[in-house]
Amino acid sequence: MRRRKKAKADYFKLRLTVVVGLFLAAFGVIIFRAVQLQIVKGPELKKMADRQHRKTLNLQSKRGDIYDRNLKALAVSVEVDSVFAQPDKMESPRATARALSRVLGVSSFEIEKKLSGEGRRFVWLKRQVDLKSEDRELIRGLEGVGIIKEGRRFYPNRQLASNLIGFTGVDANGLEGVEKYYDAMLKGSSARLTGERDAMGRVILYDDLDKAVPLQGMEVELTIDKTVQYIAEKSLKKAVDSFNAKGGTAIVMDPLTGEVLAMANQPSFDPNDIRRYGSGSWRNRAVTDTFEPGSTFKLFLIAAALEENIVKPESRYFCENGKYRVADRVFHDTKEHGWLTVTEILKYSSNIGTAKIGEELGSEQVYRYLKAFGFGKRNGVDLPGEAAGVLRHPKDWSKVSLHTISFGQGVSVTGLQMVTALSAIANGGFLMQPYVVKSVKEPGGRPVAETHPAVVKRIISEETASKLTRMMVESTREKSTGELAALPDFEVAGKTGTAQKPDLKKGGYARGAYIASFLGFVPADDPRLAILVTVDEPEVEHYGGTVAGPVFREIAEESLAYLGVFREGAGAPKVEKALMHKEAPARAAGETFEIRPMAVPDFTGKSVRMVMRMSRERSFDVEIKGSGRAVSQSPPPGSSIPSKRPVKVEFR
Amino acid sequence: MTRIRDIDRVLIISTLLLVVLGVVMVYSTSYVVAMKRFGDEYFFVKKHLTYAVAGVVLMIAASRVPYVLYRKMAYPILIAAAVFLILIYIPGIGFSAGGARRWIRLGPVAFQPSEPAKLAVIFFLAYSLAAKRDLIKTFSPGFLPNVLIPGVIIGLIMFETDLGTSLALASIVFLMIFAAGVRLRYILGSLALLGLGLWFVVHNFRYMMDRILIFVDPWKDPEGKGFQMIQSFLAFGSGGIYGVGLGEGRQKLFFLPEAHTDFILSVIGEELGLIGVAGVVAFFVVILACGMKVAMKAKDLHGQYLALGLTFMVVFQAAMNMGVVMGLLPPKGLPLPFISYGGTSLMVNLVAIGILLNIYIRENEA
Repeated sequence: MRRRKKAKADYFKLRLTVVVGLFLAAFGVIIFRAVQLQIVKGPELKKMADRQHRKTLNLQSKRGDIYDRNLKALAVSVEVDSVFAQPDKMESPRATARALSRVLGVSSFEIEKKLSGEGRRFVWLKRQVDLKSEDRELIRGLEGVGIIKEGRRFYPNRQLASNLIGFTGVDANGLEGVEKYYDAMLKGSSARLTGERDAMGRVILYDDLDKAVPLQGMEVELTIDKTVQYIAEKSLKKAVDSFNAKGGTAIVMDPLTGEVLAMANQPSFDPNDIRRYGSGSWRNRAVTDTFEPGSTFKLFLIAAALEENIVKPESRYFCENGKYRVADRVFHDTKEHGWLTVTEILKYSSNIGTAKIGEELGSEQVYRYLKAFGFGKRNGVDLPGEAAGVLRHPKDWSKVSLHTISFGQGVSVTGLQMVTALSAIANGGFLMQPYVVKSVKEPGGRPVAETHPAVVKRIISEETASKLTRMMVESTREKSTGELAALPDFEVAGKTGTAQKPDLKKGGYARGAYIASFLGFVPADDPRLAILVTVDEPEVEHYGGTVAGPVFREIAEESLAYLGVFREGAGAPKVEKALMHKEAPARAAGETFEIRPMAVPDFTGKSVRMVMRMSRERSFDVEIKGSGRAVSQSPPPGSSIPSKRPVKVEFR
Repeated sequence: MTRIRDIDRVLIISTLLLVVLGVVMVYSTSYVVAMKRFGDEYFFVKKHLTYAVAGVVLMIAASRVPYVLYRKMAYPILIAAAVFLILIYIPGIGFSAGGARRWIRLGPVAFQPSEPAKLAVIFFLAYSLAAKRDLIKTFSPGFLPNVLIPGVIIGLIMFETDLGTSLALASIVFLMIFAAGVRLRYILGSLALLGLGLWFVVHNFRYMMDRILIFVDPWKDPEGKGFQMIQSFLAFGSGGIYGVGLGEGRQKLFFLPEAHTDFILSVIGEELGLIGVAGVVAFFVVILACGMKVAMKAKDLHGQYLALGLTFMVVFQAAMNMGVVMGLLPPKGLPLPFISYGGTSLMVNLVAIGILLNIYIRENEA
């Protein structure tokens, strides 16, 4: 009996051992599997997990604001809600759609349609929507629906400078204008981050991510002056409306620096609501569109003739009493003239007189000077879509090309090219690099990039510029073509233009389709503003003087008053004076380099190589004597860069 | 004598360490989800901690209740368990969560009747096997009632689509009757029958079939049905030997579903590495060893079988859960004892340890 019991106990023990053995085997397999997963396959699995978590996130950094030159806001970013859904995470799309319909103002049928796509993991329901806080709560309470903060662009001045500033798309990328050209900076170059995300695709913030949190986009400060821009737009719109014109542009430039102070376009649009406007109104015509300049172009031909000493302002030309036959063409003047001085040719805008001056100058010289003034190639302004215009090489010219180009036909230009070339006359002969962005700054205000005035090339001498300026002033006196552009308090140097538009379908010129323009700067003796006004296809009136002249006057008068420029007596030659204006603060800052681009810098103590580099940057020639460090120079520092002679520098 | 004294101490310490690890891991795993869903990162851990404290109190209480009670009360408890399992289907009392109808609410208390039902079955078997010790080799009453009566309970649990619990409980039944000396041919024969039945069930319930297919090749549908399995693998893989550090895991960030319940070991694997996983396994082996020792030293056969059944319950479920999260077994929806979030399971397992302690104490008193 006892033995049996013992045997039974042993039997129990044996069975127990079997069971324990099974368990231990099972745990052994588990440990084996853990080793396999965590060590053998570990790195491979980890890589997969990383790929899943780490995703290059376009953490929408706040897009940088755009300011005018006085730091008045032109484009700002505000945070708004965007609602998304993850259809595979919701139980009843229908119920969700019904709940969201009221909040989003979208029919529940439409929402349901968006949610019903097979296998959709993410879908936007409505982007950039203004939500009340209780609506936000409601959305947060729904499964599979969420809110992402997105930056929306807001343009507080609506239409103001819209063609220049451009606008952004719903993904906050710049699509036009400054928004497009400076997109990378406005976005913030470090906005792309590698971050953690969870299975719902949301960003999980860890400590180390905090430090790298999306940089804000850079702020962009324009050369535009909001008030001048407003004046230009208001005046242009008035003319375009009253003459029932197709469009127009008005550009205001600081002739001494090449800074664009205003760039007005018609038609225009409200960038806050671009869909309401046709894409035709988005263009910044001042740089994207070309036109035949017509009579305003005569300025540059006469500048070339003066510079080459072929004519003097008082030289006389016979204007053929209004009919001048060249090859198979007959050129006409609007009024019949006999003998005219060059000044009068400009004043009465005689095509025949200008053509004859062109003849004397010759194709090669005309081409060379027009090229130098910047025609036929892009100015390289910091705006997208700039056109180059057309200035053919003389070898492609017909028998009458020289004549027509002389008075502005058979070439095409952009408005910006015209103002930039005009500025060269206004500032004593320097073709400046035009630009619209003064500086790019970090959100804290530290400048990242600054644009300084830069001389592209010296084209004409100060003497030529000064003579031409006097002639232009004559063109705005009473009984001249430009009399309506004259200001009571300031002398205006200007030129009218009335160009027939080419007929693109039939060839030749379209009947009754004109571009009326006025090109001028004020005050003539101390230019502060260089202005181009063009009005596209005005009705009833089409003369540049009557259509564009008054616009010019209004812009000039109001802008000068706003800028605090008052009448003063004629003084020193204008460029010297301009330089003196800018010289004093420059000296104080100990920086003679960038502030005064038209002055000869101080080379004292600089190496030969440095001097070469500095002269190249300013586009003038140097004559080098000796070696070592610069000890003397001629002309002295601060004087105007000579147009023909090189700057002599002695080294020892 | 000191060796035996060690047993209860080791058992208590192992259990409590696992419970503490559970509280820590539930917090680490759930705070992001809790924050998102309830705006309170402590939402889950607060509840879990409450259950843990209640569980430990129950464990102490159970260690004071003479285990003879479970012999006397075996039938009433079994019937109560069956009633509760049926109550699930009565509207207003039973309710479902997570796609399965497993819960009942009595007053303020909500619980899963299938968890205490496991205890009821073990109480019954321990009593029944001990009572029929001399007839154990017979088909009836040695084998048949000991399979059929638990079979009713298991059937009820299976009916509420809790395949994991019913399979675990069936395994415990077979382990117990095997240890008690039921003829091997009866066991193997019924296992074969059960396999056939299982085959039939799996084929008729799509979700079970899906689980099996996913187990065979989770990579076939990594975005859909294999998602959870793969996310679990990625968690283990990310952890390596030493883990990424407590609280630093990323898989729990909505990637790994049920991270704080059934798949908590995956998060342990990610955050504490192979070392953490091996530690958890080691503690369950220790509990197994202690349970076996208690069984060996029990003063009567009823105590022996009871100790066996309770130990199996805890350890078998642990092994099964680990097998699932590591892809060795098809997914079944079983919590990891002591660690996973879930009040009923935690308390039932702690009560089991309490009863083991009582069996050990009674042995010492004799």
